[in-house]
Amino acid sequence: MGPLFTATDEWSFVIALVIGIAFGFILESAGFSSSRKLAGVFYGYDFVVLQVFFTAAITAAIGLIFFEYFGWIDLSAIWINKFYIGSAILGGAIMGFGFVLGGFCPGTSACAAAIGKIDAMLYLGGFIIGVILFDAFYPFYKGFYKAGNMGGALIFEDLGMSKNVFLLVFVMFAIVAFVATAYIQQRVSKKSKKY
Amino acid sequence: MSDTRIIKKRYIFMGIVFVGLAFLLVLLPEKQISKELKSEQLLQEINDNTRYYSTDDVAKKIIAGDLYMQLIDVRTAEEYNHFHLKGAINIPIDSILNKDKDGKLAYEYILNQDIKVNVLYSNGTIYSNQSWLLLRRLNFKNNYVMKGGLNKWIETIIKPMRPASVATQDEINRYNYRRAASMYFGGGTVKAAPDASNSPAPIIKKKAAKEEEGGC
Repeated sequence: MGPLFTATDEWSFVIALVIGIAFGFILESAGFSSSRKLAGVFYGYDFVVLQVFFTAAITAAIGLIFFEYFGWIDLSAIWINKFYIGSAILGGAIMGFGFVLGGFCPGTSACAAAIGKIDAMLYLGGFIIGVILFDAFYPFYKGFYKAGNMGGALIFEDLGMSKNVFLLVFVMFAIVAFVATAYIQQRVSKKSKKY
Repeated sequence: MSDTRIIKKRYIFMGIVFVGLAFLLVLLPEKQISKELKSEQLLQEINDNTRYYSTDDVAKKIIAGDLYMQLIDVRTAEEYNHFHLKGAINIPIDSILNKDKDGKLAYEYILNQDIKVNVLYSNGTIYSNQSWLLLRRLNFKNNYVMKGGLNKWIETIIKPMRPASVATQDEINRYNYRRAASMYFGGGTVKAAPDASNSPAPIIKKKAAKEEEGGC
């Protein structure tokens, strides 16, 4: 089984649209179109972002490894983005800064704009300007952008662990993070009743 | 018991399920995922003849200095040392499946190609076909077979037969090309070819190209 569609298939746009709508719907249902909720992770009063993404990650990871075990999917056929270490760190920092400043990440801003939030629309506008500027000045930082290519790096390989042992450690870590953030959230909420 | 207060019961249940599943994956025996080619596809590939390179194709590529073609001699080391085609490496058929220290196939890095095209040859076509079959079964990519092997090579490239007087223009062209190639490979003196191939090559190469042009 799998891949059901190849990347060059004309169906891929239709699939992308369906998955995109489903993704947006779930983001909205989880309350991710609220910038207060999203920014809460930085202030410690709401960790739903962390919880949802961690849950998604471990669900997908466990699912994929089981699928591979049953022979339903060929994990080697999955495209893994190249890991440029410098770009990843700087890009992550810029993304985090934009996240805490604007209260949205790119996906959730589209989601919030779709339900009519004006700040999200402005955020999206800024996002587009950023894309244009990035493109315009690309030659200036091309060297840095492309430096330190580590290929399709896999964390368990770099740590020298087996995939399944790493998954167990990761699940444990996620659960510890869940419990810890729940405590932090409770303490912060007790202190300030503003939100 | 403050846990139950701030974390909902169903979340605890979900956490246990996740840890349980992850534990199960660790405990499950390592499963060797078969990457072998499906028998139906193998059968289809055996029956179509797309795996074959003719001796002319191989000669053209050697003369052109095609860096993307890797000739692989599947005969014994002895035979290989006696004579082999220019640029060929020797992986005898009985050592194709040899494993290295880690238990992985030792020649996989050569025989499973993303970039180069491997052309297997033996004296005839039997051993090279058998080798090809082994490699395709393992789903190794980009392996081809020189049809007719070295016997055909000598028959067509080293000692090409003059076509009959009623031959078509195509046949005559092919003969002219083969004659030129024969000169390039040191025609007639098959045994001397591997050693001599380096020195006379550059001079004859020009001739070969000229002949080819004339043929066209």
